[in-house]
Amino acid sequence: MAEAIEQDGAHDDRDAPKPPRSDLKDAAFWVVLGVVTLVGSLTMERLEHQNINPYTVPGLLPGLLAIAMILLGGVLALRSWRRGAATQPLPPASPGLREERKRIAVVAALCCGYGLVLVGHGIPFWLASTIYVTGSILVLRRLSRDAAERRLNARAWIMALVIGLSSSLVIHLVFQEVFLVRMP
Amino acid sequence: MQGLSDLVHAWASFMDPMTLLYGLGGAFVGIVMGILPGLSATLAIALLTTLTIKLQPHQAILVLICSYVGALYGGSRTAILLNIPGTAANAASCADGYALAKQGKAGYAIGIATSGAFVSTLIGVVCLALFTPMLAEVALSFGAFEFFWLALFGVTMSGSIVGNDPLKGWLMGLMGLLLAQVGQESLYAYNRFTFDWDELAGGIALIPALVGAFGLAEVLTTLADPVERKIIEMRDSVLPRWREIVVYRWTVLRSGIIGVFTGLLPGVGEDAGAWMSYAAAKAASKEPEKFGKGSIDGLMAAETGDMSSIPGHIIPSLALGIPGSAPSAVLMAAMIIHGVQPGPMLMIQNPHFVYQVVAMTTLASIAILFFGLFGVRPLLHVLRVPRNILMPIVFVLCTVGAFATASRLFDVYVMLFIGVLAFFLRRRGYEMAPLVLGLVLGPLLDKSLRRALVLSDGSLAPFFTRPISMAFAAVTIFTILLYVPAFRAQVQRGKSAAFAGVRALFGRRA
Repeated sequence: MAEAIEQDGAHDDRDAPKPPRSDLKDAAFWVVLGVVTLVGSLTMERLEHQNINPYTVPGLLPGLLAIAMILLGGVLALRSWRRGAATQPLPPASPGLREERKRIAVVAALCCGYGLVLVGHGIPFWLASTIYVTGSILVLRRLSRDAAERRLNARAWIMALVIGLSSSLVIHLVFQEVFLVRMP
Repeated sequence: MQGLSDLVHAWASFMDPMTLLYGLGGAFVGIVMGILPGLSATLAIALLTTLTIKLQPHQAILVLICSYVGALYGGSRTAILLNIPGTAANAASCADGYALAKQGKAGYAIGIATSGAFVSTLIGVVCLALFTPMLAEVALSFGAFEFFWLALFGVTMSGSIVGNDPLKGWLMGLMGLLLAQVGQESLYAYNRFTFDWDELAGGIALIPALVGAFGLAEVLTTLADPVERKIIEMRDSVLPRWREIVVYRWTVLRSGIIGVFTGLLPGVGEDAGAWMSYAAAKAASKEPEKFGKGSIDGLMAAETGDMSSIPGHIIPSLALGIPGSAPSAVLMAAMIIHGVQPGPMLMIQNPHFVYQVVAMTTLASIAILFFGLFGVRPLLHVLRVPRNILMPIVFVLCTVGAFATASRLFDVYVMLFIGVLAFFLRRRGYEMAPLVLGLVLGPLLDKSLRRALVLSDGSLAPFFTRPISMAFAAVTIFTILLYVPAFRAQVQRGKSAAFAGVRALFGRRA
């Protein structure tokens, strides 16, 4: 069973070389970013009305960085092309990878929901954090591979709420009362 | 003599119970963050910067240095027990540490890590006290041309060495430099790339960006994995092993010095110190075949190499204002927040501070020894907390950390944006350290380039003809050209010919 889990697990080997087609897509991103930055730098105000030295225009370094980005993006595209980006399609997503993507989407949504919606819009920090921590613990339990852990009984709800409330209050008190840091 | 007297004064200034308690607290938080896989020294320092913002500068920086040393030390436990480096710097400890743990010697391996970390940090501290004033004196002769190359050299080196793909490393460095250009520039207060958005005029603040890149990205990485790893049970003693320090004294000394010297290179990171020490120990060992299979020599080399690189990284941060690694970049930013401006003028404006940092780093090494003696087993309980509980709490801390420095909600949004971006970039093989170096060195690069062009009246010649500039330019361009296959082949041929010549010369003499 453990072996099966390891095989199906979507452990992302960060040191493994990435597929050439993936690098080609990245190259396109870098070149586009470089071109947009270059246009932004060239059209940036040159402050001629202030009679500044022309070698000190604000767009100088951003423009040079943009050129370097376009060049390196081009090299990345060329390298991925030579490694077969045009002929080798991206490998199809395994069940493990699909599960991993689902987890990423859920966790990112929880974090963004907390940072963009709950925090700083009138709800007290400790309450916003309690809602987020409790909600996250429960949602992540539901995503577990272990059937027993997936079950959300009354004990699981109480545990999640106690952990959420106590951790939020401790963080709030330590930062605000002990170290005098302003909270969002 | 003046230096020695300053050092004694610095030591004396930390001898009050409250300050020592702060130091222990910093080391404790650092060790816990280091133990937790993925949470790095960078994140520990960034979060503690906000927590200690109201403390006295010397107390706040003591906490940060203790957490820096503690995080790297704590990371070795995860490498030994889980085969996952607690921080990037502990990757070299995984192979031998985990192999020893599987042989039932997990406590023994942790004991070696403790003694190695303590002794090597002290080796680094001696170098910190000796080299920082010397380097600062040399740096006084640096002008805009030299600082331009130094900044570029830092980003290029970081891109080349961190990770497996220099091309992606340089692209990340460029992105960091570009992000640093957002906001009001320093010469004419002109708003660059702000799109009439007032919040952006302040630029992308370093702490929220780092909390995103190292905090949120790590929360996503940890929780994305459907499988949670279990730690190896530890039954033997975890006490520091001093006898092994004596037995492997040459490894400790060699790795300590390699660590410090790799630390001196801008942007290289602590892991380079560990890997280079490991490779040197393997090359010098009589039993190289045991490396990777539970070699004590290998584990000692990796642990001493990364720990001694901490003081090594602090040296250029203090003397040049150019950080040696991502954690030292945050440390430098924290120093600026607390009113200390690192750089060549530091030894003139604030000479006592350098010796205070020496005393702080010594205290940090004593703090990790304290936790190595009394806190190994209790602290490991943190690894038993399920990630489903731990990571949401870590994200709450990240949010507070991003917000608290400037009390701006905008910084929370920056943290979210950079965090999600960093997560996807990391999955595609892009490392974060060059981005951090770019963010830190971007303003210096911009200012130096424009000042230098004014001084030279637009001529590029001084960038290549002034002696120090020429040296930095040569190394930077050489590093980039090594990526060109034809040039690399030429260098290899030249190297082989040179070695063959030396061998032939010694052969004739023999």
